[in-house]
Amino acid sequence: MIQVEGLSKIYRVAEKQPGLAGTLRHFIRRRTRDVTAVQDVSFRIEPGEMVGFLGANGAGKTTTLKMLCGLIHPSAGEVQVAGHRPQRRQAEFLRRITLVMGQKQQLLWDLPPMDSLRVNAAVYGIPDAVARRRIKELADLLELGEELTRPVRKLSLGQRMKAELLAALLHEPEVLFLDEPTLGLDVNAQARVRQFLAEYNRRTGATVLLTSHYMADITALCPRVLLIHQGRLFHDGPLEALADQLAPEREVRLELESPVSADDLAGLGRLEQLEGCDVRLLVPRDQLTAVVAQLLDRFPVRDLDVTDPPIEELIGGLFRQGRV
Amino acid sequence: MRIFGLNRRIIRVLLGSQYAHMLEYRAEIALWALSGVLPFIMLSVWSGSDARSGLGLDGVALDRYFLSAFLVRQFSVVWVVYAFEEDALLGRLSPYLLQPLHPLWRYVAAHLGEQLTRLPFAALIAAVFFAVRPQAFWLPSLGGFLLAWLATWLAFAIAFLFQSLIAALCFWSEKASALERLQFIPFLFLSGLLAPLTAFPPVLRVLAQWTPFPYLIDFPARILAGQPVDLLAGFGAQLAWIALLLPLVLLLWRAGVRRYSAMGA
Amino acid sequence: MGRYWRTLRRFWGTAVAVQLEYQANVLIELLAVAMSLSGSLFLLSLFYGPDQTLGGWSWAQALMVQGLYTVFDGMATTWLRPNLGAIVTHVREGTLDFVLLKPIDSQFWLSLRTLSPAGLPEIGLGLGLLAWGSHQAGVVFTLSSFFTVLVMLLAGGLILYSLWFLIAATSIWFVKTWNATEVLRALLASGRYPLNAYPPALRLLFTLVLPVAFLTTVPAQVLLGEAAAPMLSAGLALAVLFFAAARAFWLFALRFYTSASS
Repeated sequence: MIQVEGLSKIYRVAEKQPGLAGTLRHFIRRRTRDVTAVQDVSFRIEPGEMVGFLGANGAGKTTTLKMLCGLIHPSAGEVQVAGHRPQRRQAEFLRRITLVMGQKQQLLWDLPPMDSLRVNAAVYGIPDAVARRRIKELADLLELGEELTRPVRKLSLGQRMKAELLAALLHEPEVLFLDEPTLGLDVNAQARVRQFLAEYNRRTGATVLLTSHYMADITALCPRVLLIHQGRLFHDGPLEALADQLAPEREVRLELESPVSADDLAGLGRLEQLEGCDVRLLVPRDQLTAVVAQLLDRFPVRDLDVTDPPIEELIGGLFRQGRV
Repeated sequence: MRIFGLNRRIIRVLLGSQYAHMLEYRAEIALWALSGVLPFIMLSVWSGSDARSGLGLDGVALDRYFLSAFLVRQFSVVWVVYAFEEDALLGRLSPYLLQPLHPLWRYVAAHLGEQLTRLPFAALIAAVFFAVRPQAFWLPSLGGFLLAWLATWLAFAIAFLFQSLIAALCFWSEKASALERLQFIPFLFLSGLLAPLTAFPPVLRVLAQWTPFPYLIDFPARILAGQPVDLLAGFGAQLAWIALLLPLVLLLWRAGVRRYSAMGA
Repeated sequence: MGRYWRTLRRFWGTAVAVQLEYQANVLIELLAVAMSLSGSLFLLSLFYGPDQTLGGWSWAQALMVQGLYTVFDGMATTWLRPNLGAIVTHVREGTLDFVLLKPIDSQFWLSLRTLSPAGLPEIGLGLGLLAWGSHQAGVVFTLSSFFTVLVMLLAGGLILYSLWFLIAATSIWFVKTWNATEVLRALLASGRYPLNAYPPALRLLFTLVLPVAFLTTVPAQVLLGEAAAPMLSAGLALAVLFFAAARAFWLFALRFYTSASS
């Protein structure tokens, strides 16, 4: 459904030093610099797949997403979505895709969502009867009722997002591009949006590419993850495989009979926490068995537990350190 | 020493940062300056009309009057109500209200920064005007220039206070900025921007002089153009309007802020 | 074509609905129109004393020009300002992306998305003033003169739209260009007075570069029988030319937007 081959995007940006002097200098002579937002990215997504798209802010996620929709022309490389070249933005292509942006809205602020939906129905050439039926189905699925006839400005953020989703899906697109669809929503609303997307995908077999800051969205919806870092594709595969790649260490939690000092634990991995009898250690995977054996041998252990650190922390750590 | 939370250091930082900020918008401001060409269009109509003789501005005096009107307008344009509305809408207002500085000072600094940015563009337009009509060129006396400058600043102060009053009403009603549109219409026709006040029938002229509008353009422009004016009456009227508006603005703002914080918006 | 027509009806249906949400606006708008028109008439009257004309135009003839100007100003309020002003907002807030992803022409969407009924009274008043001025100036209305006025108004509207749209489209590069439309508005204000009231150099400017003359003076002349068919066709040709330019520029702007925006 989506084929991307050697995709790159280079921007030319203006450079300006901060402060008055910088402003004046910029006034006289503009200096520009090329920034590579996306570099040589290739992947394929099959029909019906739900794929999570991860990356720090500025990693190139949104640029890639916009190139897939045809909003930005690639500097190099080939993109095919639903058999079309997106940048031509042909009507047949646009009817088959949709883009939802969590921080932007297409619904008219002063009017009930229903009015915007009627406009969309006309724009996409959906007969009124069909539109009514679809609105009813989607509204049921999204648990939207009389909210559709209340002005958008009076809706809560969660209700607004659900109405946005309805507006974006009215024309039954086959490919969904979702950019932070749960941004700013409370935990319950996030969960409902997530459930809806899973259900929509199951019912219609639509292909979904989703970016999110909330790892819960990704873990719940996407068996496959693309991770983009500094414009390059860094990982393509299941989320768990990413964890192995990112986290060469495992966490060992100990509960001891009697307190120990930090010196006692020297040489047994990295000490994360030490509070009386409670100890947390990070141990490289290949040394795990040896370290556990030593621990059991040297200390009076009441309880021992080995876990993977949470994926969120791993990815967060990755973005913080900027390594790769 | 602090006046309304203002001291020298704050003034310096505020003006400096607002000037830098406004320089970022220089293209916009150049366009703003250019959009003030209305006096020149009116000048060209007045110059060729039969009614010109009734103006009491003969020869190059009319050219000078309208150029002065243009310049005075350039340095007394006020947009505080729009800036305020945007700040309120985007939620920038609350942090401003928490600072130990009257929020209006921030807007005053922004206006001054904008005027400084506008200066070269206004000068350029004036230079073009002189290139087209070299016979109209004149240099006001130093005293005349300083008086005109003072009168323009006072005009700016009146316009600023007047609009701040409207901005303060935004605390109560979303529609308050429409009032600005409504007051702009009499300003346009009564200030002297489109026609010198001497063109008006006597009754209307007297009536207009009881509004603040002639003191915003006509009075400073006449000083700058070297026309004979009653300085005492003009400055007196300007100061009287400021004395009337200033306490009103402060009171309304205080009440507005109290209402704003009570609503917790 | 049917889809575009249906979309247009929906667009304007929602626009009226939005206006009804804010009834106070209508009242304010009416007041503003009344004040503004009386101010303009007052200003115009300053040019007229006994036996005085403005550039050879009598008071009644000048009223026709003023009436036409008012019609176009109302057109700007009803149609151009709400639509073309929103382009800047779309660019700044990134919602232009939604428009570009709709399977409908983006210029169509951006130009006709909404309609503000607030300017309709102004159009009505302008037409009334035009009719009154024509009557006073001794114009005899025939079916053909009525038809001519209609065509001239359409051509003028198209010229005005194209100019405005050209400037609004530059917001793709400069984001905040509604000031540029203010410059345009300031220059268009010259259309309040007959072309002959201006010195020759400006007349040339207002005919060839910024064709304000074709909005107000020429239609009035056609009605007065002072300008004939060639003027009419010149106005139409100019309208087509400007529209083509606006269209071409928009396509160019979109190419830039999709290759350089982030």
